[in-house]
Amino acid sequence: MRKFLTVLAALATLGLSGCGYNAIQTNDEQVKSAWSEVVNQYQRRADLVPNLVNSVKGFAQQEKDVLLGVTNARAKVGSVQATPDVVNDPGALQKFQAAQGELSSALSRLLVVTENYPQLKSDALFKDLMSQLEGTENRITVARNRYIKSVQDYNVGVRTFPNNLTAMMFGYKEKANFSVANEGEISTAPKVDFNPTPAPAK
Amino acid sequence: MRLVQAGLLALLLFCCGAPAFADVAVPALTGRVVDQTGTLSSSEQADLSRTLADFEKRKGSQIAVLIVPTTQPESIEQFSIRVAEAWKIGRQKVDDGAILLVAKNDRKLRIEVGYGLEGALTDATTKRIIDEIIAPRFKSGDFAGGITAGAERMMKVIDGEPLPAPAARSEWTSSPNMIENLFDAAPFLLIGSLFVGGLLRAVFGRFIGSAVAAAVASAAVWFLFASFPLAFAAGLVAFVILFIADASTSSGGSGGSYSGGSWSSGSSSSSSSSSGSFSGGGGSFGGGGASGSW
Repeated sequence: MRKFLTVLAALATLGLSGCGYNAIQTNDEQVKSAWSEVVNQYQRRADLVPNLVNSVKGFAQQEKDVLLGVTNARAKVGSVQATPDVVNDPGALQKFQAAQGELSSALSRLLVVTENYPQLKSDALFKDLMSQLEGTENRITVARNRYIKSVQDYNVGVRTFPNNLTAMMFGYKEKANFSVANEGEISTAPKVDFNPTPAPAK
Repeated sequence: MRLVQAGLLALLLFCCGAPAFADVAVPALTGRVVDQTGTLSSSEQADLSRTLADFEKRKGSQIAVLIVPTTQPESIEQFSIRVAEAWKIGRQKVDDGAILLVAKNDRKLRIEVGYGLEGALTDATTKRIIDEIIAPRFKSGDFAGGITAGAERMMKVIDGEPLPAPAARSEWTSSPNMIENLFDAAPFLLIGSLFVGGLLRAVFGRFIGSAVAAAVASAAVWFLFASFPLAFAAGLVAFVILFIADASTSSGGSGGSYSGGSWSSGSSSSSSSSSGSFSGGGGSFGGGGASGSW
């Protein structure tokens, strides 16, 4: 009996790692942490927005529309729930992306407008905020990249043989990824161009 | 015939030329200062390397300097995060590395900051270091001065940050890794030795078989982790388990599966422990820092 149990335990362990159950778990966890990092960095940007709006307001009171646009977009971002379940729901991810994309374009409109205020641009606080915003945008890019890669690993794992059988048995589905269509939407620069000088932020 | 040769040659040239359009490869980490443009004289490089090495000894965090001609077609941010991911500057888990990257022909530079230093070298601070310290010197053509002054400023800022005290290098690169790897590999080790041990016991009998299997296990552990105490412990455990366990010798066919992924997975993750001159300690980066131009 003991002999049998030992062999069974050994086979079960080998079997589970052989059919990719452990790999699926690892990849699943990686996707989750990558997604958390994405949300984390987007949150960081959202936290920057009020300060940025305030510092612009001091110099460019008359740009009400643009400032209002940013504030509204920021509020919308806050209302979209970014739970870990978003990764399992392409629709929710799309909504999240759309809200963030809106904030992105509102922010770049704001940055284009600030080009008209040399005083604002030489303000120390504004400069610091700008470098923080740039840094955060870069972190978002990195986090999104890593999320995309981790989802790729996970999806490949779930779809290839023999792991797909395991995934089917335990109900692991493909995860949603940032899609190309939305990518384009987010990265298009606004067409507002007041100056011959290019906008400082991408 | 000649035409064919010429055609082949053209094709070959085309194939060789094609990678020129691809991304710039991440340079090898040959030292703390990697200069691919010949901007710094060898004495300047040596001085800067020494300063950075002293700083690592004193504070624990690693700073590397990289000068490349260009990062095109990628942006400097994209290239820089690739370099950071490949070099892994900074201590593992502390993530206190920073890279000063200069793309000379693009007239762009960037300070890439590891996770652990983002509190000290904030985006605003790094932007100021770039704009106020490095860029003016670069503008006047003083590259060595700009890089040295920038690196010194970075060290000063990092000095203000409380970081874990530096440990002796050899210890923190190999020993925690090793224990972790052993735990990772433990189930495989156990199952592997059960199978092999069962086989050996069938051949040699209970006592001698167990002893031989234990010797094999400890030799394997010693080979993998280069640590005598660990090897001894593994041998002892293997012997006791095999001697007591009643597992039969039936599964000869499974011997193959033991030698498959299990051992190599243990050794592949313990890769970068042998450090001849300078290597990253395993720090990770998340895109923090700032870029600028001159």
